[in-house]
Amino acid sequence: MRQPLLRLSQITKSFGAVRALKGVSFELHPGEVHALLGENGAGKSTLIKVITGAHQPDGGTLEIGGTTVSNLTPTRARKLGIACIYQQPALFPDLSVSENIGLRLEGGAFFAKVHWKQRRKNADALLARIGAALDPETPVRSLSMPEQQLVEIACALGSGAKTVIMDEPTASLTQVEQELLFGVVRDLRASGAGVVYISHRLEEIFALADRVTVLRDGQSISTRAVRSELGAMELTEEELISLMVGREVASIYPHRGGSPGETVLELENVCCAAGGIANISLAVRAGEILGLAGLVGAGRTELARVLFGITPADSGTIRLLGRNVQVRSPQQAVSLGIGYVPEDRRRHGVILPMPIAENMSMAVHPKLFPGKWLRFEAERALGLRFIEELGIKAYGPEAPGGSLSGGNQQKVSLARWLATEPRLLILDDPTQGVDVGAKSEIHRIIRDLAAKGLAVLMISSDLPEVLGMSDRIAVMRGGRLVETFEGSTATAQRVMSAALRPS
Amino acid sequence: MASLSPSLKKNVLRHESLLLLVLLLEFAFLCLYARNFGTPDNLSNVVRHSAEIGLLALAMMPVILTGGIDLSVGSLMGLCAVLFGVLTHDYHLATLPAAAVTLAAGLFAGGFNAFLITALRLPPLIVTLGTYSLFRGLAEAITQGTKTYRAFDPAFLSLGETRWFGVPLQAWILTAAAASFYLLVHRSTFGRSFRAIGFSPEGARYAGLSVQSRTALPYLLTGLVAALAALLFTARLRQARADAGTGYELCAITAVVLGGTSIFGGVGTLPGTLAGIAAIAVLTNGIGRVPAVFKAGIGGELASLLTGALLLVALAGPELARVLSTRSAKISPSPKTL
Ligand SMILES: Nc1ncnc2c1ncn2[C@@H]1O[C@H](COP(=O)(O)OP(=O)(O)OP(=O)(O)O)[C@@H](O)[C@H]1O
Ligand SMILES: [Mg+2]
Repeated sequence: MRQPLLRLSQITKSFGAVRALKGVSFELHPGEVHALLGENGAGKSTLIKVITGAHQPDGGTLEIGGTTVSNLTPTRARKLGIACIYQQPALFPDLSVSENIGLRLEGGAFFAKVHWKQRRKNADALLARIGAALDPETPVRSLSMPEQQLVEIACALGSGAKTVIMDEPTASLTQVEQELLFGVVRDLRASGAGVVYISHRLEEIFALADRVTVLRDGQSISTRAVRSELGAMELTEEELISLMVGREVASIYPHRGGSPGETVLELENVCCAAGGIANISLAVRAGEILGLAGLVGAGRTELARVLFGITPADSGTIRLLGRNVQVRSPQQAVSLGIGYVPEDRRRHGVILPMPIAENMSMAVHPKLFPGKWLRFEAERALGLRFIEELGIKAYGPEAPGGSLSGGNQQKVSLARWLATEPRLLILDDPTQGVDVGAKSEIHRIIRDLAAKGLAVLMISSDLPEVLGMSDRIAVMRGGRLVETFEGSTATAQRVMSAALRPS
Repeated sequence: MASLSPSLKKNVLRHESLLLLVLLLEFAFLCLYARNFGTPDNLSNVVRHSAEIGLLALAMMPVILTGGIDLSVGSLMGLCAVLFGVLTHDYHLATLPAAAVTLAAGLFAGGFNAFLITALRLPPLIVTLGTYSLFRGLAEAITQGTKTYRAFDPAFLSLGETRWFGVPLQAWILTAAAASFYLLVHRSTFGRSFRAIGFSPEGARYAGLSVQSRTALPYLLTGLVAALAALLFTARLRQARADAGTGYELCAITAVVLGGTSIFGGVGTLPGTLAGIAAIAVLTNGIGRVPAVFKAGIGGELASLLTGALLLVALAGPELARVLSTRSAKISPSPKTL
């Protein structure tokens, strides 16, 4: 038996009175993909941060390559051959892609000469290997979430690490980039590296992982092989889910609604040069969920930003409930009854240092505080209501957003816009990073709201979600709307081929 | 309005309580050792002499809370003082209309800062550094750098000495201003927006807050308050000159930062700012009265030396303690709030 790359036993970690890890044991062997699975707030990201030295454990032992290490720092972890793609891309926004990659990968000698050409070539090669069509000279600030995630993946790949950790790398990637990533993971495995892989998409775990460890409430519940020696599946999806949540969860999508009502949103030839979209015409009716599919960079998020007034349209008409409107700012969009759950929750969805109740009330100030005086009891009640309704794991409405796990932050971002009771709700990957149980709960809530007359425009990088939830599916490619399908007749193949077809 | 706002509660437990302790120690020391420090007369003086800086600091706090800064308040005081002098002397306006025009001018000057910052999206530091020179330059141009206005209405000049119920007028004005700013910052949706903008302007925009108008408001208020401070200053010194309020912007900023407001925006409380104002006011007044043995031969500059030291200790202390105790956790809930 070869030496394991990592061996953790009985790791504990608390934040103040929150016990994030209560005793986790975990092993990673060379040449295996080991999935880490658990509900939102189970402690996955915290465990990862212990392995990368970002957090010091309170107790337990951590062995890397057979030697026990204590007082691990991120720099030392890197030297010991550990690379990590964090759940939240942690790139320098003002530097270019190649500079970011260079900083991660090149040695840090004080007066080391920078070989710009070499650095660029390196970045080019890495990006090409993962199939990302990105210019290495673009500043990271102007990249979208999924693009940043691709850069992170390139960094991890280029590090030549023996242990590569991926915390929800696909949370905002679509099928195509996901396949590219899978290729990378398989290459790593074949080269003898070990991969720790976290994802809430169970199908990915079945496609990739050799073993899976399930965490529940900060404890490792069990470690199982996904496949037997002969390659037969040893686990079912139901088994995994019940290990994770300790109960059965229906992973089916809610029934589609009845006949939709009046037209809520109508677009005619909407163009926005800044967002790179052109000639968009579509309609969303009350009670209807319109899914918006496409690859990363197809212009889905850009369209949402136009509708929410962040980058206003240059030309074309936007009609809301039959009236021509100009949406020039998010503030105006809110007053028109438009809500937008953004793609990038850490920058736009939640103000991390603020308490979650304050985050949830932020878009309903005029309604909740009519005289402009704050009403703390009403705000607290709002916070408690959504903590209950969405099953948010936090120690209270006064917990700062940044103290929540990724999936729970996503629920806060969603709660803010559900609280506004909008007429049109634009969802940009509403369930990214959300665990299976909460995901179906959110789907049910969205469907219920639609049944009450809400019009929903749903962008999702998760194709099964688009297929399962949408009444109609519009496909975008290269900033244009290329095809629309009825939800009941759409299939993954048809949607994908519309999204991919070269123009 | 029985309960403290949640964010206030948390902060009161940290920086501000430490500062209050320092303030009490300072006060006790001065009462024991400084000549005539604790007399009612002297305490009135402390308030009278620190009223202008106190007002500026109160108005500065929301600006810094939004992540901005206003360096022009001291210069604006000079400009407003001169304007008031010109209006009463050269245009023979009565005190009340002249004061009203002066206040309006302050508001307008604040609006000018706000316009450059919000509509043209220029950095507050640059904009107010510009108006810092501009306003002072205007004041000096009007007075040719030499003219001093002295012939004010006696009723106006007596404001500097007025007492209500034995308490100087300045104390009443400071109290009213502190209460108003408290309500604005901690009780109204404006204050909430300031905080959100201070933490993340982009995040606030995506939440549908009117970032531009909420960023502009604090600068309007600093302008108005600078004009008010100029009037009080003129009444107290019985003269208006172009150099009124020189260096006051830095004193005000020091008081706010000493009071626990983060220069990066988002974090801070108004009671903290009050404690910061008090700490500086008491120190400035008391040090002059301390016997020479305590002064280590430094003399007059001791007050500013100590203020600087206090600021650095107050800021570095908690940060150092935090870094040493939790080297890893960035945002950990304080156990006291659980
Ligand atoms: N810095 C922190 N301060 C306070 N509590 C924290 C902090 N970081 C994490 N926690 C808490 O620790 C628990 C575990 O969080 P963690 O981020 O590890 O969950 P996760 O399994 O990665 O969840 P998700 O699937 O949503 O990403 C959560 O209850 C969270 O609120
Ligand atoms: Mg996580």
